[in-house]
Amino acid sequence: MAALDFLATPLLDYLANGLVLSSIIVLGGIGLSLVYSIAGFANFAHGDTMTVGAYTAFVAFGAIGAVGSGVLGLPIGFFVALVIGVAVAALVAVITEYVIYKPLDTDRIGLLITSIGVAFVYRAIIRMEFGADFRRYDIQAMRPIEALLPYEVRITPHDIAIVGTAVLLVGGLHVLLQYTDLGRKMRAMADNPDLARVSGIRTERITLWTWIIGAGLAGAGGVFLGLYNQLSPRMGFSLLLLIFAAVILGGIGSVYGAMLGGLLIGMTNQFMPALPNLGQLFPLVPESFGIPIGIQYANAVAFIIMVLVLLVRPTGIAGEVS
Amino acid sequence: MVDFEDYRENWASMSRTEQGTTVGLVLIGVFLVVALLSGALAPAYLAFLVGLGAMYALLSLGLNAQWGFTGLINFSVAAFFGIGAYGTALMTADSSPIAGGFNPLVGLVIALVLTAILAILIGVPTLRLRADYLAIASLGLAEVVRLIALNERQWTNGSAGVRGVPTFFEGWPVLETLPSTLPSVRVAVVPGSPIVLEAPFYGAFLDLVVVAVFLAVSYWVLRRVHRSPWGRVLRTIRSDEDLAEALGKNTYSYKMQSFVFGSLIMALAGVFAAHLTRFVAPGTLDPITTFYVWVAVMLGGSGSNRGALLGGFVIVAIREGSRFVNDVGALPVDPASLRLLVIGILIIVVMRFRPQGLLPPQKELIWPGTVDETPTTIDRGVRDARVGDTDE
Repeated sequence: MAALDFLATPLLDYLANGLVLSSIIVLGGIGLSLVYSIAGFANFAHGDTMTVGAYTAFVAFGAIGAVGSGVLGLPIGFFVALVIGVAVAALVAVITEYVIYKPLDTDRIGLLITSIGVAFVYRAIIRMEFGADFRRYDIQAMRPIEALLPYEVRITPHDIAIVGTAVLLVGGLHVLLQYTDLGRKMRAMADNPDLARVSGIRTERITLWTWIIGAGLAGAGGVFLGLYNQLSPRMGFSLLLLIFAAVILGGIGSVYGAMLGGLLIGMTNQFMPALPNLGQLFPLVPESFGIPIGIQYANAVAFIIMVLVLLVRPTGIAGEVS
Repeated sequence: MVDFEDYRENWASMSRTEQGTTVGLVLIGVFLVVALLSGALAPAYLAFLVGLGAMYALLSLGLNAQWGFTGLINFSVAAFFGIGAYGTALMTADSSPIAGGFNPLVGLVIALVLTAILAILIGVPTLRLRADYLAIASLGLAEVVRLIALNERQWTNGSAGVRGVPTFFEGWPVLETLPSTLPSVRVAVVPGSPIVLEAPFYGAFLDLVVVAVFLAVSYWVLRRVHRSPWGRVLRTIRSDEDLAEALGKNTYSYKMQSFVFGSLIMALAGVFAAHLTRFVAPGTLDPITTFYVWVAVMLGGSGSNRGALLGGFVIVAIREGSRFVNDVGALPVDPASLRLLVIGILIIVVMRFRPQGLLPPQKELIWPGTVDETPTTIDRGVRDARVGDTDE
């Protein structure tokens, strides 16, 4: 029975919700890391690319309507809207690359600063169109799944859809990177762009694909972020720092590092309520032991982890020591 | 007519953009004077606007000392602005949960001390990082500061903010009551819409004096420092940190000095803002301030003090302009979105077409004495030898 007692603590709930948030952060983080490794700069517009995806899906879903009952409480129309959101986010990123980043004659810092301007333009246009208020997809909110309630796990079918889709997308990316020609070329270019070019890889084309994949995944992350919370013009930018924290923790430039970092940061975020009473929740920890930090500091803890990682191991967990 | 000749010579020695900027500034000045004389613009509001411009100019000067001089990508400007504001507000306001009721001069000193401590706390872990990591880390730590101000109610009143901050001259002899004792003056340049100078204007004018003193002192110090041996080391670090190290300079220490120094100037802006609006809330720490100031510095020209001055006032023009456009109803867009759009486009356009900014540092960096003997007309580039003196 002791094992079951342990299960009855809120820890499982934190774990489940951590998985949901992690999925969204991972979707955002992969693109950020890909763009960093191939385009060569920290893209501050990445969060707002997520917002673009979310609002596109919002409009598309409004136009398409539910269409059938669908799976996991999400109508078919929503999945169509998801695809449209992904496509538009990728398209916007590609246009931005061609119109704005490519003609620039500047270094990585100049690109970083420019990307802030790009972020503001995206957000301003969305704000002009939809206002600063919160929006929701026109989908009935779901109750937590009954079967899991005895274990104190409160997650909805929507949450499962988020995690499931994220796993599918990440798995697809893994296959793409490891087993396709494009993936090999991308890895080669991330490793050493000059060597890739002299080996006959068309690096421009690879950069283009990087933007499409990175922004597409960010778009999907944005759509799910809108489903998980709600939509607002600031939603992506607010999450951006957490995504940076995840990517840096995992090792910036590494796709698999971004996945691991996203998982850790998402979990940290959701396990915050456990910190003040660690002793009661975990066996083997002294009963009165706890770290007195409230959940309002969830993001702050992530940022401090990020700074510590930068100090102690700037290459992150997955990065190799240079 | 001698003066006129001087101006002509000066004009000829300016670069194209300098001439353009001068014309633009003169036109705006004329426009403001006309608006003021015709009664369309209340004098108190004009004083407020100029004060606000000076505040942004101070922030820009501070960032310029970090980014323009040393090349530190500091994205925590809002945190230093905020801690300056909170520092003085918590010492002087009635509703302060900590101390309250002190003379604003005490507030100023405490604010500066707090800022120096915060700058060191942020600087110690981040200044060793590579440039793009510094950007991300400083933005993250600024957010930590904002979360603390928002959540530690026992120190900051939380989201309710600190109300009842006195004016800067509270508790001073004469100056404290000056605005209400000065006579009310009416001047009617255009019949029917007189300009009224009374207590609100005098109050705003006194505020303006405060920020003007802050600005003048900072500007003077920065100009001296920029050309000093210390400033030269900073500029070396910016262009090539390895070189500075090879020359035996402790670059980390210099970067820290530059970081703290710039942050103190930003805190001056915060102190002024707290006494101007008489209220400080966590919104003061919103990261958007950071990006406003970045636009100001980049538009003015990274490394250029007068560019930072100019940029500060341009930001106020954008802020107030977007509100004005909305009031007039020319564009059915809410001012905040418009402002965001303008700022975003400005960043992109500057980076694309003029990355060095409008007024890049050129003759700013030359000691006046060193070029006195050179002929007065030189090719474009170094230009007039004595312009250093008249540099505004």
